[in-house]
Amino acid sequence: MGQILWCVSLIVLGLSSILGSFNYITTIVNMRAKGMHWMRLPLSIWCLFVTAILVLLAMPILSGAIIMLLFDQTLGTHFFGPAQGGQPLLWQHLFWFFGHPEVYILILPGMGFASDIIANASRKPIFGYTSMVIAILGIGVLGWIVWGHHMFMSGMNPTLGTTFMISTMLIAVPSAIKVFNWLGTMWMGNIRFHVPMLHSIAFVSMFVIGGLSGVFMASTPVDIYIHDTYFIVAHLHYVLFGGSLFAIFAAITFWYPKMFGRMMNPTLGKVHFWLTLIFYNCVFFPMHNLGLKGHMRRLYDPNQYEFLKGLQGLNTFISISAFLLFTVQLIFAVNFIMSWFNGKKASENPWEDNGLEWTVPSPPPHGNFASPPQVYRGPYEYSSPLVSEDFLPQDRQLPGDASPAAHHT
Amino acid sequence: MAHAAALDHEDVMQPPPGCEPGAGVYNEKLGMWVFLGSEIMFFTALIGAYIILRVAHPSSFKEPGEVLAVSITAVNTFLLICSSVTMVKAFASVQDGNLAGLRKWLVATVVIGASFVGVQIYEYQHLIAKGFVPSEGLYGSTFYTMTGFHGFHVTIGVICLIFVTIKAFQGKYTASDHRGVEVVGLYWHFVDLVWIILFTIVYLI
Amino acid sequence: MAESKHTHPNYIGVFVALGVLTGLELLVAFLPWSQMTRILILLALAVWKAAMVGLYYMHLRYEPGRMRWLAVAPLPLAVILVYVVTREFRW
Repeated sequence: MGQILWCVSLIVLGLSSILGSFNYITTIVNMRAKGMHWMRLPLSIWCLFVTAILVLLAMPILSGAIIMLLFDQTLGTHFFGPAQGGQPLLWQHLFWFFGHPEVYILILPGMGFASDIIANASRKPIFGYTSMVIAILGIGVLGWIVWGHHMFMSGMNPTLGTTFMISTMLIAVPSAIKVFNWLGTMWMGNIRFHVPMLHSIAFVSMFVIGGLSGVFMASTPVDIYIHDTYFIVAHLHYVLFGGSLFAIFAAITFWYPKMFGRMMNPTLGKVHFWLTLIFYNCVFFPMHNLGLKGHMRRLYDPNQYEFLKGLQGLNTFISISAFLLFTVQLIFAVNFIMSWFNGKKASENPWEDNGLEWTVPSPPPHGNFASPPQVYRGPYEYSSPLVSEDFLPQDRQLPGDASPAAHHT
Repeated sequence: MAHAAALDHEDVMQPPPGCEPGAGVYNEKLGMWVFLGSEIMFFTALIGAYIILRVAHPSSFKEPGEVLAVSITAVNTFLLICSSVTMVKAFASVQDGNLAGLRKWLVATVVIGASFVGVQIYEYQHLIAKGFVPSEGLYGSTFYTMTGFHGFHVTIGVICLIFVTIKAFQGKYTASDHRGVEVVGLYWHFVDLVWIILFTIVYLI
Repeated sequence: MAESKHTHPNYIGVFVALGVLTGLELLVAFLPWSQMTRILILLALAVWKAAMVGLYYMHLRYEPGRMRWLAVAPLPLAVILVYVVTREFRW
C-alpha cells in the first residue's frame, strides 16, 4: 500500500513540476520586457530557464516509469519483474534517464543565484557572461547523455559503460568554466562580505570539492570500487548541500527583503553560516575516507564486518557533527521567522543591485511594475565608469541610450 | 496596472505587445506547444519501453493480427483522422468568422472523438473476454499501458472539446479571438499524431 | 477585426493523403517481406503521416520557424533513450 501511495504521489508531484516549468518557459520566451534581449537576462533567469526545460522533458519519463511500476504492483503487469521477461535494467535506464537531468535541475538554479550574488557583492560584472550562458546550455544538453554513470555496476553493456564514461568526463568542463568565471568575478573586486556572499563563496568552494570527487566516479574502473560506498555519499552531499543548499541559503537571504519587506538579521546569519560550514565539513568530508576504505551505503550495522570495525570512531564523529549541524539550522529558522516581524525594514534596493526586481517596492505590489520597464543594458554593470555610483540598474536610461522600443532585434 | 493593460491589447492572437520578440506566437499557443513537448516525452517512455522490451524478449510478442483486431482498429484510426479534419475545419470556420460552421464542426469532432473511445472500449472488452489481459505477459502489459494512456488522453481531449463546444454555442469565440479553439485543436491533433505512431508500432509491426 | 487569412491549406487533400498512406501501411504490414524491411517502411510511412498532421493541421508550416524547432526538440532525446537502451539487449 505504501509503495502504491508513493507512486501516486510522485506522479502528482511530477505533474505539478511540469506545469510550473511550462509557465516559466512561456514567460521567459514570450514576455520579456522591451530591451531585455536574451543576452541581457540575469544568469539566474538563464539557469531557471534551462532548469525548466530539463524538468519539462525529464519528468514525464519518470512519470512513465512510475506508472509502469504502479501497474506492476496493482494490475499484475510485467514491465520490471523478470519472471515473465520483464527487465529490471529497463527501470534503471528509465529512472536514471530522468535522474541525471534531475541533478542538473537541482544545481543549476543555485549556480544562477550564486552568479547574481557574487557579481553584486564583488561590485564587478560577471566574468565571461557569454561563456557562462554557453556553459549553462552545455550542461543542459550534455546532461541528457550521461545517465549511465549511475549504472556502471548494474551489469549493463560494457560498450555503453565506455560511452557514458567519456560523456561524463566531458560534462565536467562547463561546470569548471563556471567556477573559473566566479573566481574571475571576485578577483580584484570591491567585495562586500554580506551573508549571501559568504554562502555563495562557500557554494563555489564546496561545489568544487563535490565536482572533483565526481571526476573519480566518472571513470568506470574506479567506480567499480567506490560505487555504493560512502565516497558516493560524500560526493552527492558536497554537490547538493555544499552546492545547492548553500546557494539556497544565499538566495533566501538575498531576496528575503524583496519578498517580505524586511532584512534578515545579519549577525544571526553570520553565526549560522560559519557554524553550518564547519559542522557540514565535519559530517561529509570524512565520508570520503570511509568510502575509500570500503564502507558500504545503507548499512544498518557496520560492526558485522571485521574490516569496518576500525572506522567506528570516524562514524561516531560524523554522527555527533550531524546532530550539531542540524541544531545549528534552527538559528536560520529562527532568523527567518523573527525577521518577518522584527527585521529592519528594507528599502527598494538594499543590496544596490542592478536587477529589475530591485526597482519596485519591497514587497512588490500586485502586478509588480506600475508600467512595463524598459531595459537598456545587461544586469552586471557594476563599477561602471559611466556613473558615479558603483552600480547601474538595467532600466536606468543614460543620455546616450536609445529607447529600446525604437529598434528591433 | 501593467499586466491588465497587456491583457486588453487589441489583437490577442498575436504575440504580446510591448515585449521583446519571443516565439512569435501568442502566449497560450506557445504554452500548449511547450506542454506537448512534455507529452512527447511521456509517450516516449511508454512506447520506448514497448520497443525495448520487444527487442529484449521478442518471444513474448505476437505477429500483427494474431491477437489484436487490425481491421476494426484501422477503421478507428480512420475515424480519428476524420476528427482531426473536422477539428481543423472548425478552426478554419472561426478564422473566417463563420460561427455556424465552427459549431457544426466542433460537434462533429466531439461525436467522432467519443466514438473512437467507444470503439476502443469495445475492443478492450473483446480482448479481455479472449483472455488477453494486462497481466498477460509483456505483450499485455505494454499493449494496455500504451493504448490505455492514449485513450485516457483522448478522453480528456473530448472533455475539453465539450467545454469549447459549449463556449462556441454561447458565442464566446470570434474571428479575432478564438484562442481556445486553436489551443484545444493543437492538443487534439497531437493525440491523433500519437495514435498514428501507436497504431503502426503496436498493430502493424 | 476579422481579417480573412491567406487561403486555407488544402485540408481535404491532406486527409486523402493520410488515408492513402494508411492504406499503404495496412498493405505493407501483411506482405511477405523481411521484418526489417517492413519495419523501416512502416516507420517511414508513420513519420510521414505524423509530419503531415503536424505541418498542416497543427499549422507548423505557417508558424515562425522557431515553433518548428520547438516541436521537434524532444525527438532526439527520445531517439537517444530508445536506441541506447536497446543496445543493452543486443550486445
